[in-house]
This record gives sequence, C-alpha cells and structure tokens, in this order.
Amino acid sequence: MKLAELAERALERTRGQAQVTVTRERSQLARFAGSRPTQATEVDELRVEVVAVRDGATAAAATSKVDNDGLREVGDRAARAAQAAARAGGGAYPGLPAPSERPRAHEGWDPATARLEPSRPGAALAAVFEQASTRRVDAAGVWTAGAVETALASSTGLHAADATTDAHLKVLCRDGSGRSGFAAATATSCDAIDPAAVARAAADKTAAGEPAQLALGEHPAVLDADAVGSLLEFLAALALNGLAHAEGRGALCGRLGKLVASPAVNLSDSPRYPGTLPRAIDAEGVGKSPLALIQDGVAHRVVHDTRSAAIAGGDARSTGHALAPGGAPRGPRPTNLVLVGGGAADVAALAGGIERGIYVTRLWYVNTVHAKQTLLTGMTRDGTFLIEDGRITRPLRDLRFTDSVLGLLERVEGLTAQPRLTSEAEFYGPRFATGVVCPAVRVGALRITGTTA
Amino acid sequence: MSRAVGPDAGLLDVLTVTMERAVGRCSYGDARRVVTGCEHVATRNGRVERIDLDEADGIGVRVRVGGAWGFAATSDPSAPAAERALERALDFAAEQPRTPERPLAPAPPARGAWLGPCERDPFGIGAEEKLDLLLAAEAGLAGDPRIVHTQARCLSVRTAKGFASTEGAACTQTVVESGASIAAVAVDGSELQQRSYPGQHDGGVAAAGWEHVESLELAAHAPRVAEEALGLLDAPPCPSGVTTVVLDAEQLALQLHESIGHALELDRMLGAEASYAGTSWVSPADLGRLRYGSERVNVTADATLPGGLGSFGWDDEGIAARSLELIRDGRLLAALSSRESAAAIGLDASGGCARADGHARQPIVRMTNVSLEPGDAGSLEDLVADTDEGLYLETNRSWSIDDRRLQFQFATEVGREIRGGQLGRLYRNPSYAGVTPRFWASLDAVCSPAEWRLWGLVNCGKGEPGQVAHVSHGTAPARFRGVQVGVA
Repeated sequence: MKLAELAERALERTRGQAQVTVTRERSQLARFAGSRPTQATEVDELRVEVVAVRDGATAAAATSKVDNDGLREVGDRAARAAQAAARAGGGAYPGLPAPSERPRAHEGWDPATARLEPSRPGAALAAVFEQASTRRVDAAGVWTAGAVETALASSTGLHAADATTDAHLKVLCRDGSGRSGFAAATATSCDAIDPAAVARAAADKTAAGEPAQLALGEHPAVLDADAVGSLLEFLAALALNGLAHAEGRGALCGRLGKLVASPAVNLSDSPRYPGTLPRAIDAEGVGKSPLALIQDGVAHRVVHDTRSAAIAGGDARSTGHALAPGGAPRGPRPTNLVLVGGGAADVAALAGGIERGIYVTRLWYVNTVHAKQTLLTGMTRDGTFLIEDGRITRPLRDLRFTDSVLGLLERVEGLTAQPRLTSEAEFYGPRFATGVVCPAVRVGALRITGTTA
Repeated sequence: MSRAVGPDAGLLDVLTVTMERAVGRCSYGDARRVVTGCEHVATRNGRVERIDLDEADGIGVRVRVGGAWGFAATSDPSAPAAERALERALDFAAEQPRTPERPLAPAPPARGAWLGPCERDPFGIGAEEKLDLLLAAEAGLAGDPRIVHTQARCLSVRTAKGFASTEGAACTQTVVESGASIAAVAVDGSELQQRSYPGQHDGGVAAAGWEHVESLELAAHAPRVAEEALGLLDAPPCPSGVTTVVLDAEQLALQLHESIGHALELDRMLGAEASYAGTSWVSPADLGRLRYGSERVNVTADATLPGGLGSFGWDDEGIAARSLELIRDGRLLAALSSRESAAAIGLDASGGCARADGHARQPIVRMTNVSLEPGDAGSLEDLVADTDEGLYLETNRSWSIDDRRLQFQFATEVGREIRGGQLGRLYRNPSYAGVTPRFWASLDAVCSPAEWRLWGLVNCGKGEPGQVAHVSHGTAPARFRGVQVGVA
C-alpha cells in the first residue's frame, strides 16, 4: 500500500484536529574495525504517528500496527490523551498548519540507492580494506545507506509527502603507533561516494612521528569542514532555535539585526542547495524554502515551527523547521545549514598565514557549557596537526577546546572556496539524515583548555 | 523485588520457529522480539506541553555466516515477516568480505521468564493525574520574572522481550521504568542559569512503578530549585585553580559512567567501537594488573540490583544477570563483555553485558549498573566537616571526555565554597577537568552506605546506527584532592 493511502486511512479513524504521519525507513549499515567486517544491519520499519490537538494541547501516539484495528487504536489513544491534556488546562499550540502552496520538488531521491542491494556495502568495505592494506594501516568505520519515505495527512486538509535517500561512508585509519586519521563522505547517492578515495584521505591523516606538545591558551587554527559542521550544528540549537529565542534563552536574543560574526560569514538554511541532503517539507508538512540566517556577519532571523512562531508572536510564522508535529520538546532547528565559502583554495592556503597554530580535522564529544553564550567544550580527534611557518607539519596530541561558537565566527579570517557536505550520520532512533554544507575556516584564535595524556 | 514467572508464549512462538529454520544455515543465530510502550508527559511554563505515547513491536534476527554478522529488523512481528528478516540477515552476512570465524564464549541456553519490580503500574495512572502532579510541581517554580522557562516531565516505559537462539535459548522478560524531573531556567542579560531536580538527564528514572515518581516529591523541591536558579544569577563565577572537590552523588554517577564504565567496555578496548564512541586507554592486558585509582575505588557491575536500569533477567544474548567486580581496592579486575568480546581475550564466559536498543538494533557491549561502592566517610555533612577548604559541586550541567576516556571536563549547575568544614557561598558556572587515572587516584573519601543510591541515566549513546541505553549507577558523595577547577 502506498504511504499516502495509509495516511489517509489512518486520518479517517481520528477525531477532531489531527495529523497523521506515516514513515517507512529502509536502511543498511555495515560496520568495520581492524580491517574486517564487524556488523551488518538492515532495517525495514513502518511507523504511523497520530498527533491530536485539543485546546492548544498536543498528544501524539505512534504504532507499527497498520491494520484497521491498529490505526483505530492509535487514533483513539492520541485523542484520549489530548482530551486529558485539554481538561488539565490546555497548552500553547495554535493548531495544525493549513495547506499552503505545493512544496517544491527536489532531487534527493536516488532510485539506485533506494534498492539497497546487499552486495554494495560488501564491495565498499572490500575497497576500503584494500587501500588500508596498501598503506599498512587498519581501517575502522561505517558504510550506510537509507531510503526514507514520509506521507502526511491532516484534518486541516494538508496532504504532503517527501522521499529522500542518503549514503555515508566514514573511515578511520590507524597506524601501529595508534595514530588515527579520519575522512568521510555523505551524499544522496551511493554512486557519489568513492570508498577507495575516502580510505586514502583517511590514511593521509595518519602521520607518523611523536606528537608535538602545545601550550594551553589561544592559538590560531584551521578548522576543516567536519569540525566546522559540528560547531554549526550547536549554533543551530543554541542560537537559531526559535523556541529558545522566544523564551529568552537563545543566544541571539537582543542581537538580531546586529553584527554577530565576521562579515565573511554568510549562513543560511537552504534545503535544495547543491550537495545538501534536500528536504521538501518539515514535520508539520510546511514547505521548506531557503532562509538567510546570518548575512555578512549580521544575524537576521531564527527558525520557527508553528508552536514557536505562536509563542514569539507578532509577525512570526513557521519557517518550515518543525522536527515533530506540534513542536519538538527542544524546538525547531535548521536541517540544511549552508555556510558560503570564501577565497582560499584549500586548507593549505588557509594555513599559509599562520606562524604557529593548529589544524583540526574533526571534533568529538562536543557539549554545551553555557547555552546563552554558545560556549562549548569538546576534543579534537583523528587528525590534529601543528601549523608551523604557514605549513601543516607535525601531529599534535588531541586537544580540548572550550570556546564560544559565535566568538569563533567573529574570529573567522578566511574560508575555503568549496563547501562540502558534512554529517555525523549517527542515526539514533528513526533515520533522519541531515548535514551541514560548509567550507574549512581559519580563526584568529581557538581557546585550548586541555590535552590528552 | 523481581520475580520469576512463566515464559510468554506470545513473545516466543515466532522466534523459536524462525530459529529452527536458521539451524544449519549459519554458525549461530538469535532472534529477539521487543514490545515497547513509552509514555512521556510534559508541562512547560505552567501549561501542558505534550503527551507522547509510543508503541513499537518488532523482531530483530541476527546470524553469523562465514565469520561475518548479518542482522535484519522488521516492525512487523508476524511469522512471514520474521522469516523474511532471517533471509535478509543471511544474505547480508553472506555479502560481507570474508573474515575468519571467531568463537563466541560458551553459554547455557537461557530458559524461563523474568519480571522486573513494579508496585504501581504507571500505565494504570491516568494522564490527568500525571499532569496534575507535574503542573503542581511547576507552580512552585514560577513567580519571579527572571525565571523565563520552567518544565516538568515524567516518563513511563514498559519493555517486554522474547529471545530465542539456534543454541536452544527461549526466554522472556518484562521491565517497567518510571521517573520524573523538574527544571527552572533563570536569565538576566547574557547570564543563564538552570537548576534541576533530581538531576539532569532525567536523573529520576528507575526500574520501578509509579511509586518511584511519588517518592521524588517534585512539588516539595520546586521552591528550592527556583530559588537556587535565581541565586546563581548573582553568584560570583567559580574561581580557577587546584583545590579539593566534593562531588555530589549525581555528578559522581556521570563521572563514573564516563571515565570508568565506558573505559571498561571490552569492545572499545578491542577497537570495535573505534569508528564512533572510540577506544579505551585500558587494554585487555591491563586486567588484573592496572592500578585504576586509590584504594577507595571499588567498582561493581551488578545486573541484579533492584531498581537499576541496567538490571535484567538475561542480557540480549541470553546470558543470565550477574554481579561482577570490576575494580577492587583501586586495582582493575575485569571488563564489561559480550560473548564475542569475552572469547576474543580468552575468557570462558561472557560478562553478560550485551544489550540492544529495541528490536531494530543488534546487541553491543553496554554497562549494566556500574557502581562505586560506598565508603566509611559518614554523611555528606560529615564529609564536608572533614574538609578544610574546597568546592562542593552539585548536579551535572555539561560533560565531555576524549575518545580514549582519559581527558575529561565537566560542569555542574551549582558550586559551593567549602571553608573550615562548612558550606559557604554559591558559585556559578563551576567546572573541573582531569585525566582519568590521576583523578581516581586522588579519591580519598567516599560517604557511607546511608548516602548511597542509584542514579538513572537514560541517554547513554553508543554504536552505529546509534543506540540509546538506560543504565544506573550507585554512588555516594565523594572527595577528590588536587582537582583543576574553573576551567571553562
């Protein structure tokens, strides 16, 4: 049965204001370590969620039972819970969005990737292992591909659908001394990823030699795209989240319209930008459109779902960034951040202006220290190097940074010309592939507060 | 207390048939059916935020072919769907690059049924009663205009599992989890402070029924929580330097989780998690030899603790729950293991630590209830009285540790000066950092059993695709000397 028909059947079994979301995930994931396969996971999941709204209160019920009894039961559960919430005083939700103009199509569905042939991950792993063997390193990592189809039907008359494919390969190469190097590629199509090339790039980062020491304190740094992507994901949650902003917790409260970053920083949410993982709609069926967030260093706006827009009041409207119908507990979030590139040819060119500094491949275990100040801490990992006299030279021990994302964006001194798609591809819970398209950047100072033993 | 019951045939029938069909087609196979009901009820800023009722029922089939694993999951628990999942798992394993077959540690086939503790079924409590409790607690948080955000939430989970294998295992188990928490956020200009109770990370969750939520007495704690959030706005920042630190039991639970629990996962030691969660500074050769910390460091992994989120009848490979001494008098004795990782280092039995997040993920090495055993330092008041100068740090706010579990940095919601054996003024934005073996070597006092309790964590992430585990840690307040503070 087609998902849209299933959504319609489920909606017929609801009462009052309600939205039905049907999601089908099919995915494969092959994991490896020590240059051998360690895990091969294939998932085929169908899920129906009903959100009911009563007096501004929302209640959601989800099930994997898709026969008539299962659909009726899930609708009843949502309705009963919403009625109980209404009796307890109701909530702040203004109601499900009405149909708007038809969402624009995108090219984020690749039929060949969606076939999920079991031979493809095996071939990818074999290519990685061959490169690792040639370079005399061990390879660990993950290859994964997924096809996610979504259909929405709402009592407001809204009907919408989206379908996306994604593919991701991550390789960590490790030499005999334990030094590791990282490379990854993410795309909408398996064919866009060259496993051997990714493995070679990871092996290139496993530099031999005793790691150099670096004093704690502030150092100029080149952050490669994967590190920049991680930082921008946190910026999205702490500063660009319309719910936090409306509640006075956001890092851009009182700063919209002001210079918050270097004039070289141009950040948008662009759901159909070349190289991104496109999306047509958000979780409430609202169509996605490009949205300028920071232009020439000036903060322009935060993103909203229906709930946060209502709380913000005034002329605020949903910008198509709901992560759950009715509003996710942590609020709306950009899903397609794009940081526009600059004029540097590559990371070597960015390092060219640095007498002594740090090159960071990627970050690990980043966490918020102070939300309103966008203060984060985390570690560098899998390819941290010293920059000396304008060249990336020796490996460094992994470093702990504690710094503000907005502070780092203020200190941007250069960006590479070609942004690329970065993604953590963690896939906790239902598959929802997102990434950040960004270049590598040079910052005038990165605050280092610790180092590995 | 948990108790034995008869196996649930409804959970097992399809699994046992599927495994009968797998025999002879793989060197090993298992199948799990997991039926989960999960209810989140949340209020926000004095109004109902949302009720989430999530039900899932599915089957995951895992096989070993030619040394490679294959796993397939389906949200359809019917027999035909389970058979298709078996075929997909066999195909996927067969398509993996060839690798030598590695043994699994032997295990007797799990048989029987197990039921976790639950006095008052949280799914028998109406939504109105839950909302009344949460809204009453939230009312005690509000009032001052600088409190810009309040929230209260409760969580109820029921998980029923069936497990069968090609070795003849056939067992079922059911566990109920309940918990609740409140939080207030105060803002003044660019300063933002949060206070939470009973802790961050939904820290009030236990393997228990609604009686556990009632015992938390959220409403009684709400005025203090709001008052402390406001007090922190005007508190001076935490000073920088090296000093004595007393960690409250909640923060110590996360410290233990990150710098001992994860470091002692055998799959990490063997490199199997290198691509994501990382490896470990501990190697298998360190078992029985390594000094992990001071003689006050006694750590146990106990999957039989009543109320622990890491308690079960059998792990997700059918290994019966057990208690395992990890560190005694500061010396490392054992690691957390699965059948595959245990066999890889020559152990004759799994540590019983293989767990999976639902039916659509396969088992990986997970903590059970990893606890720091209580000491003899008396009450928290006694411990503070015995401390001339330092900081008392309470309630985790931020956490980060490197991928070998060595260098860490934590921040807590509250810091309090200790001077002359007494608690003094508040400090805002307290933080501390260290390196795992040096930090645990500096432990010189742990409070006595009366201060020891289990803390639940429901956000432990590991594995690819990502898996979230629920674990508990037993801790009592403890004192560490010579700690770097004020690092953020």
